Amino acid sequence: MKRKWFLLFLILTTTSLISGCWNARELPDLALVSALGIDKNEAGKYVGTFQIINPSYVTGGLQGGGGGQGPPTTVYSSTGDNIYDVTRRLSTKSPRTLYYAHTNLLVISEDLAKKDGITNILDAFERDFEFRTTAMVVIAHRSKAEDIIKTLPPLDKVAAVNVIKTLKNTESLLGEEPTVNLQEVIHYLVSPGKEPLISGLSLKGEKKDAKKVTNAQGSSTPKARLEADGIAVIKDGKLVDWIHGKTARGTGWVLNRIKSTIVNINWEKEKAAIEYTVVRQKTKVTAHTKKGQPKISIHIHAEGDIGEVSVPVNLNDPHVLRKIEIEVEKTIKKDVHDAIHRAKENKTDTFGFGEALHRSDPKEWNKLKTDWNDVTFPKLEVDVTVEAFVRRTGLRNKSYLSELKNNR
Amino acid sequence: MEKAKISAYQLFVLIVLFELGSALLVPIAIEAKQDAWLAILLGTAGGFFLYLVYYGLFHYYPDILPTEYMQKIVGKPFGKLLAFLYILYFMYLAARMLRVFGELLITFAYPRTPLFILNALFLVVIIYTLRKGIEVVARTGELLFVILFLLTISGFMLIVISGLIDLHNLQPVLEEGMLPAVKTVLTRTLYFPFGEAIVFTMILPYLNQSKKAKLTGVYAIGLSGLTLTLIAVLNISVLGINLTTRSQFPLLSTIQTIQIGGFLERLDVYFMLFLILGGFFKISLFFYGAVAGTANLFNFKEPSKLAYPIGIAILLVSMTISSNYAEHINEGIRLIMLPIHLPFQVIIPVLLLIIAFFKHRKKRGK
Repeated sequence: MKRKWFLLFLILTTTSLISGCWNARELPDLALVSALGIDKNEAGKYVGTFQIINPSYVTGGLQGGGGGQGPPTTVYSSTGDNIYDVTRRLSTKSPRTLYYAHTNLLVISEDLAKKDGITNILDAFERDFEFRTTAMVVIAHRSKAEDIIKTLPPLDKVAAVNVIKTLKNTESLLGEEPTVNLQEVIHYLVSPGKEPLISGLSLKGEKKDAKKVTNAQGSSTPKARLEADGIAVIKDGKLVDWIHGKTARGTGWVLNRIKSTIVNINWEKEKAAIEYTVVRQKTKVTAHTKKGQPKISIHIHAEGDIGEVSVPVNLNDPHVLRKIEIEVEKTIKKDVHDAIHRAKENKTDTFGFGEALHRSDPKEWNKLKTDWNDVTFPKLEVDVTVEAFVRRTGLRNKSYLSELKNNR
Repeated sequence: MEKAKISAYQLFVLIVLFELGSALLVPIAIEAKQDAWLAILLGTAGGFFLYLVYYGLFHYYPDILPTEYMQKIVGKPFGKLLAFLYILYFMYLAARMLRVFGELLITFAYPRTPLFILNALFLVVIIYTLRKGIEVVARTGELLFVILFLLTISGFMLIVISGLIDLHNLQPVLEEGMLPAVKTVLTRTLYFPFGEAIVFTMILPYLNQSKKAKLTGVYAIGLSGLTLTLIAVLNISVLGINLTTRSQFPLLSTIQTIQIGGFLERLDVYFMLFLILGGFFKISLFFYGAVAGTANLFNFKEPSKLAYPIGIAILLVSMTISSNYAEHINEGIRLIMLPIHLPFQVIIPVLLLIIAFFKHRKKRGK
């Protein structure tokens, strides 16, 4: 009998000991950081801006109607000598412990990226076990990271989610923003054969109004908006150039990052007369050495539909479609060449040609890798071939424009 | 020797769990860069060879433990000394493993918990199991093996589905020729994890069908070698060689990058399960080697009672073995591989086998 009581006592004491609550943290004590912005102030200190989710305002009216009154996110900021310093100093302002496991967005200011480079600030995020390396990295274009973080967008309640969706949308519909996460940024920073590209984001409109709740709720046209804006080219950790529009798309083609995009082609002197929508594409980049000279071949295979025509053109005719295909091929080729030309001017191999050479000819690569970006890459011979196919023309064959033309 | 019997399947399961235990978690063969997978494959071949050596010894003395047959092979005083050294070796390895698992848990899940608490709790479970004997360990293995492999397969599927694999990262193959890969095998992979199967010489005598020992072991080492190769390929193709080299725990980083459909992500719990299951068997089996050896050498009637004192010794050693993780890993590579693993896993068993071979021929000759 004694033994029984002793066992019961033992079980009770051990359950309290081994239940795993050594440093348990309750949800009301945590501040979920959804986005984090890094600036540098005049004094040379880092300024961190933390977008913190306010759970009771995020939940919609359906779940009891409690939410909806205040802003769904709140912003804290603090300064410090390095990233860890910044995050710990926030404790003087925040009643809750910051929790980074849900941080999806890291915004770095353009100034910081240009002057000091991004190399010194990323280690803390990679080392910390709470922070996820799958967080998306963006650079604040023509604005401070702080302004981006503080903006309250109209559609998605949590601003970080809004930004991520915008960028992903741009990538998948326009092919101009190859989004990168922290892990990829670090990978390309370190790799001598490929330099990172980071999406840009800018605040358009009146900056004063951006952080007001009314920006998100007041009117149908918010006074301040966040916009995907160009791609930052990073060389040796520093921002050297912004690329936009067609150049950005050309880069997307080479990187094989186009999910879908539009290609406008000219038709009989009409500019942008036919629109070709890419449905799927595949780009192969291969490197080989000829007589000690590295050479890159890019082969692009694209399939797509006709999205819009503004000239009377007979889409029933396979010969016409073939002509369109040839025009599309030319246009893509031009975009790609423009992108490569721009990268060569910047002396920055953002395409990973170096990595391709490393894979195909490691010996040659070892000779060239030390001054790949500055010497070899700008003189590199690049051969581009494009194969484009028009697969479908939508619900109509000939456009009504052809009928109009016949009637006249 | 305790009165216990384990089946061939149980032995198979134990060997696989033991080999995968820690090798799955920490970077192995990473010195061979993107050819790590090749180094592991070659290491597996070496693992077969070593296992056959251990099997050879078992074949000559199928009913007694190594601590006993060492005395028969090289004479009583020297054999006893050798057996004692092996007991220390197993204890030391158990302590090393315990430390690694404690450190792993702290680094990625329990940053504020003292190491001692984690190690002690982990060891309490292991002591409990060992007190129940090898049969219980084996049955636990049977149960958990299924779970571990279901996890491995589903984890693999998730990584494939999320489209993270970039086989370009494995190129160029053999950038600097075969030399780095072969060197990695001879200085690292052969001893960790494959040579550590030496501890199974303490378990083979319990096998109920001793005929099956050879094939079971070879199959088990083959399966673990293939799994490790696959994991190495996954890690490098997902993370790239650079990040894999810099990661303390590459598999964790690989699992953390899984993102499917916006909701299947943050699957760290996979890694946690690999860690706990693998760690449990790795430590248990080394620990068991030490307990069984001590009981046999010093003629203890009840080996299970030795689990407490030896357990406490292992716990204390695991705490004092090094002052930080970097030192611990460095010791594991510089101090242990060639000076300790090589003689204990390769040289001594091979010499013993040669002597046993001649002794038996002489006997038969008479």
